Amino acid sequence: MKSRQRLIIGYLFLLPAILLFACMVAYPVFNTIKTSFYSLRIQTLSRGGKFIGVENYAKLLQDENVLFTLKFTLQFTIVAVVLETVIGMGCALMMNREFRGKDLVCAAVLIPWCIPTVVSGLMWSYMFAESYGVINQMLSSLGLISSPISWVTGESEAFLSVVIADVWKTTPYMALMLLSGLKTVPEELHEAAQIDGAGKIVRFFKITIPTMKPVLLVSVMFRTIASFRIYDLIKVLTNGGPGRSTTSLTMYTMQQYFSFGNYGYGATLAVLTFAVSLVIAFFFYDGMKTKLEV
Amino acid sequence: MNKTKLFKAGRIWQMLLYAFFTVFLLLILFPFLWMILGAFKNVRELFAVPLKFWPSSWSLKNYAEAFSAQPFWKYLLNSMVISGVSTLVVAVTGSLASYALARTPIRGKRLVLIVVLTVSLLPPITLINPIYQMYSKMGLLNTRIGLALILAAVEMPTGIWLMTSYFQSVPFELEESAMIDGASILRVFISIMIPLVAPGLFTVGIMTFITAWNNYIFAAVLNQHAAARTVPVALTLFETESYTPWHLICAAAVIVSLPLVLIVMLMQKRIVSGVTSGSIKG
Repeated sequence: MKSRQRLIIGYLFLLPAILLFACMVAYPVFNTIKTSFYSLRIQTLSRGGKFIGVENYAKLLQDENVLFTLKFTLQFTIVAVVLETVIGMGCALMMNREFRGKDLVCAAVLIPWCIPTVVSGLMWSYMFAESYGVINQMLSSLGLISSPISWVTGESEAFLSVVIADVWKTTPYMALMLLSGLKTVPEELHEAAQIDGAGKIVRFFKITIPTMKPVLLVSVMFRTIASFRIYDLIKVLTNGGPGRSTTSLTMYTMQQYFSFGNYGYGATLAVLTFAVSLVIAFFFYDGMKTKLEV
Repeated sequence: MNKTKLFKAGRIWQMLLYAFFTVFLLLILFPFLWMILGAFKNVRELFAVPLKFWPSSWSLKNYAEAFSAQPFWKYLLNSMVISGVSTLVVAVTGSLASYALARTPIRGKRLVLIVVLTVSLLPPITLINPIYQMYSKMGLLNTRIGLALILAAVEMPTGIWLMTSYFQSVPFELEESAMIDGASILRVFISIMIPLVAPGLFTVGIMTFITAWNNYIFAAVLNQHAAARTVPVALTLFETESYTPWHLICAAAVIVSLPLVLIVMLMQKRIVSGVTSGSIKG
């Protein structure tokens, strides 16, 4: 019958995507989880790994680097996401009006999003250069600093540089997403509240925010998870330096995998990264619900 | 209230708004513009203290040198092919899967959506080593198709979410009437649904293409040989231990970014609608 035909076609249509996921996602994930229970290095790859149970995980709990990189990654994530959300919201509020040149602003806003992260990392790397970089030169000619700031070589400055570069790259995108959320707030609600005497700030917190809560949650959630996995930007801007002060968890995992060839331990770190991402996602469960309905 | 006072307040507000957006635009565009200026400067000017703002001449020397220092034509071609194939895979398999989710009575839709969500939450680092080993055994390392496939897989969730909502927005009556007329589901899908969601499909295509083009982590690990290298990876290879050739990097970065900026300028409305509908409808 027609309905049965629809059913079969439905499964058939779904099949290619499922196959792709099975090969490219499911298999690697299970492989990574399995490898995390083995001692496997590139030097001994041909001999296969040795099953060592939770030994890698025990090592992980005692690894000072894990603590350090996790701390940096979490600090970075929180600072970056808060800044991007607040600034993004401010920009979205401003962009929610009609004005001449709005299209130009919207197009310009997409430029940081559309260029590769490595380009943005390289650009900022050039601007942050201690002696010849434009930022230090402008700051000192304006008399704001007396000696050049070591943007990428100073420990606390490097954190700041990474945050600035990331905020530049992703705030515009955040602003766009939040703008779409702003548009879901009906004008009538604001008007009614205004008649009742509610000021701008009250209206913002009591009407705007609650109405756009789904969009806000989804945007912040995905932004948080993406920030947590940061790699490209740091690789190009500071390469994890100075020392390891801007080494993210992903960067440390990459080092274990590909600089040291320590596949077993790398897999353990990868599992950790995934676990933290899931925890973050559960925090935002409310926001995720929209993705689970069709 | 005094009418002139109101009028003045409105004007001041307007001026503030325009001032805000001028500063906003400058902040967004300055790094990019600075790099474009740098692409025309010679080595001395790039490292100059005090700052040399404008290049002394607008020569294309750096661009030529960038292309000869590394085989950039090859890399541009690689990136094009890889991003193109990725986009094609996402468009085709994503549309099929989305239609199945939106319009067919299959069971286990919730499970599929959970899978899709999980894939989007997966950090690439969880996939990278097994994929590397698997590709190594299958001879897919340093191939365009290999990289294209993994990129397609990680970008599929966004494609599915967008396409599902586009399919859902098509009035069911249209499909119904076509099927009552005797058309098979495949016919309906190809001749009716796809054309109706074509704008959305186009948006998905642009976004997938740009994201695939910009990918670094998979491209750097899987396609290390020059023959299959992509453009973002190539950009990081100009630098050596002791010296950073900014004149080449700036030129190359401009070449890499210009097509993307052009796409964005031309397709701005589409991209914005894709970005924003992804966040509203979920």
